[in-house]
Amino acid sequence: MNEERELAINPIVQTSVQHNTQVVSNIRNLTASLFGVAAGTLGLESYPGFIFYLVGTLIVSSLVFALRADGKPAEYFHRPLGDLWGGDVFSGLSSFVLTWTLFYGLVRA
Amino acid sequence: MAQPVVQTIHRDPALFWWILLPITVVMVLTGILRHYAMILLQSAPKKQALPQIRQQRSLVRGINLRANANVLSPISFQARKAYMVSAYQEGKFLADPEGRGKPRPNPMSDPAAMEGIMGMMKGNMAMMVPQTLIMGWINAFFSGFVIMKLPFPLTPQFKSMLQSGVGTRDLDVRWVSSLSWYFLTLFGLQPVYNFILGSNNSANQVTQQMGQMNPGAGMMGPEQDPDKLFLNEAENLEVMEHRWILEGVEDRLLAKFAI
Repeated sequence: MNEERELAINPIVQTSVQHNTQVVSNIRNLTASLFGVAAGTLGLESYPGFIFYLVGTLIVSSLVFALRADGKPAEYFHRPLGDLWGGDVFSGLSSFVLTWTLFYGLVRA
Repeated sequence: MAQPVVQTIHRDPALFWWILLPITVVMVLTGILRHYAMILLQSAPKKQALPQIRQQRSLVRGINLRANANVLSPISFQARKAYMVSAYQEGKFLADPEGRGKPRPNPMSDPAAMEGIMGMMKGNMAMMVPQTLIMGWINAFFSGFVIMKLPFPLTPQFKSMLQSGVGTRDLDVRWVSSLSWYFLTLFGLQPVYNFILGSNNSANQVTQQMGQMNPGAGMMGPEQDPDKLFLNEAENLEVMEHRWILEGVEDRLLAKFAI
């Protein structure tokens, strides 16, 4: 049974996919800002700061995986690997840099 | 090589209250203002004549038939296909059947096309004008201050941009003036708008560009020849492979409950 036939039998509803993406991106943006606050308060500079962000997003990804997707990402994401683990990592980077800079400037420098 | 001396600058705490905070507040408020301005500027869709609507809808009908063909049984799909294809080829749905084969008029002379272009222009203006204004405002009011230190190093190429108005040659690039805070807020405030205005806001330029991908007019652009679109759609319907979704459903059902 080829993939096209499979999609016709179990269709992917675009609205639900959009809703899921929205929920995940909201979580990511909020946590990215909070990570920026944390990194700025800790006074991390250059590479440690970005590594902090990457580690934080990985933790958030695994939390989404465990709590929101109930450990079954295939039911909530079209392509679990790309959409949950890989794709959204850099979407929150700009807000992270914003709050990071703000709090670093306020607290340290 | 000697370790470079870490530069420290003692800054007035009032810089935060009088520069950083006002810029941030102004940026947020501009985004909100732009969102509502875009809503106000959106012109209501114009009323179209009945044949025009019929022309559009019948094309959409063909596309929908193609997209949802799998839920139709072969007989009814064939009947629909035969009807749609013959009607398309005869030009039954055309708004002006006499105009078949004639070259299209210049799109610039068509008022409907001008409407769409004007809408896009308005969107661009609503984006460009506040940005220019705010940049001018920041340059006029807040140039010449070093307000903050970036937590990450940058290459010296950024120096002229981010330290504009600070006439110090040897200052580390990480010390930046108010304009760079403007840029940071410009790129980083999208989530804030998302939380304030809901997800489908038009506050930032990113969503602006997304919106321009499909500028209102839909798939039936006025510059395209409807007759050609119809013939094209007829061809698509002709070559389509139709598979009924209920084909072999008994086997699938039995396989599902056999375990």
